Amino acid sequence: MTPNLIQFLELSVAGFLTLCIFSFLYKDNPFYRLAEHIYAGLSAGYYAGLIWHSVIVQQLWIPITDEGKFVLIIPGILGLLMFTRFSKNLTYLSRVSIAFVMGNTAGITLMQQLHGYVLPQTRDTIAGLLGGDGTAAMIGAWVIFVGVVSTLIYFYFSKEHKGVLGVTARIGIVFIMISFGAHFGYTVMGRVSLLIGRFQFLMRDWLHLIN
Amino acid sequence: MVQRLTQLLSRIDRRIVFLVVSLSVIIPLIIELPLPIPIAPESRKLFERVEEIPDGSRVILTFDYYPSTLAETEPMSVAALRHLWRKDMKIVTLSTVGTGGPNIADRVMATLAEEFDKEYGIDYVNLGYKANYQAVLLGLGKSIRSIYPTDFYGTPLDSIPLMRDIDDYGAFEFIYIVSDNGIVDYWIGLVNAQYGIEMGAGVTAVMAPKFYAYVRAQQLIGLLGGMKGAAEYEELIGHKALATSGMGAQSMVHIAIIVFIILGNVSFFLGRRKS
Repeated sequence: MTPNLIQFLELSVAGFLTLCIFSFLYKDNPFYRLAEHIYAGLSAGYYAGLIWHSVIVQQLWIPITDEGKFVLIIPGILGLLMFTRFSKNLTYLSRVSIAFVMGNTAGITLMQQLHGYVLPQTRDTIAGLLGGDGTAAMIGAWVIFVGVVSTLIYFYFSKEHKGVLGVTARIGIVFIMISFGAHFGYTVMGRVSLLIGRFQFLMRDWLHLIN
Repeated sequence: MVQRLTQLLSRIDRRIVFLVVSLSVIIPLIIELPLPIPIAPESRKLFERVEEIPDGSRVILTFDYYPSTLAETEPMSVAALRHLWRKDMKIVTLSTVGTGGPNIADRVMATLAEEFDKEYGIDYVNLGYKANYQAVLLGLGKSIRSIYPTDFYGTPLDSIPLMRDIDDYGAFEFIYIVSDNGIVDYWIGLVNAQYGIEMGAGVTAVMAPKFYAYVRAQQLIGLLGGMKGAAEYEELIGHKALATSGMGAQSMVHIAIIVFIILGNVSFFLGRRKS
């Protein structure tokens, strides 16, 4: 088979499966379910192969056997302990691995959230309030400041939302709604982009109807 | 009359909505709409920062995305790569996403390398994918070789000319992230915060609203949001491609959706008044 024919066949399989998925928009049908099952099966198989190769082989087996990094036997054992969850009598052993993962993740995430999110964002929320970058920037800084404070107060549930607290919380709702609107608008744009991408594939790459 | 209109609107079959949306995509793809693409300040900042980087510098370009978001992310990668190679930069690509990222990088880099006459190993390197992104991002700050002893093709880094004197983030002038997931938070929180390297990002539209705060706080130099951001970058580099051609369809679908929202509300309020 020539490379062009192979490429056309590959594109045709992808095009056919795309149309199978689109057919669900009319109603559920065997073609949709065929594509859905192929996708689920392929994903599971691909992930299994990927994890085996990129984790077990590359990060455990090769370093131990070729480079003599025997210390990696410890995380290897921790990984194996996770499988004890399938045994009622030994399931408690998996907690050692889970505790390690939780502690490790919590430590890294704490650093990332604190230094990458909480501190810089708090500093930036306060920084522009007294001006310095012009009147427009100062007004923007105050809008953000009011939005942050009122939204935080909306999520303060230890006191009934009455009086000043109630008014501020209601202002917070306005900011939250604006945020939801922005997110929804962007989500629509994102989903439409994916649809456009599929049509570009069908009409340009597969059927050559457009340039 | 009002009653009939209300009944008609409330009984629109959802398949008619799908058909209208499909036609709103297909027609502008066939008959290109010459719509203007205004440039957002965040996109311009990213473009201008890349322009300021000295020619021939080393840059990391990430392909942190799955094939499912190719329509938004690939045009960003292509436009970014085109811009970086016009300035003759040396590019190291990597991915924290196993399915898609490294293979897409391989295809995109190889295609554009031909156009720009770039050679693998000298002008660019694809490091591929490694599992556990947190450990990868932290580890790259200490020793790239400890995380990636070989590149995507299994070649040891020491035998790749571009990688011989590179072993941590210090060798790079800029990090250009293209992503469809929360990894951008980690690039900012772990790499920008700890190593102080400047970075810009292209993200999917769904993610974009969250990341404007990072641009404001100057943790990100600039931001491209979705297909619109990609089209803006194509406009900035003066090479209109896939994202720009999709923007006509994007606008048409948005108009269709707005019309349906108005019709839905009219139907709702007329129905409520009647009851």
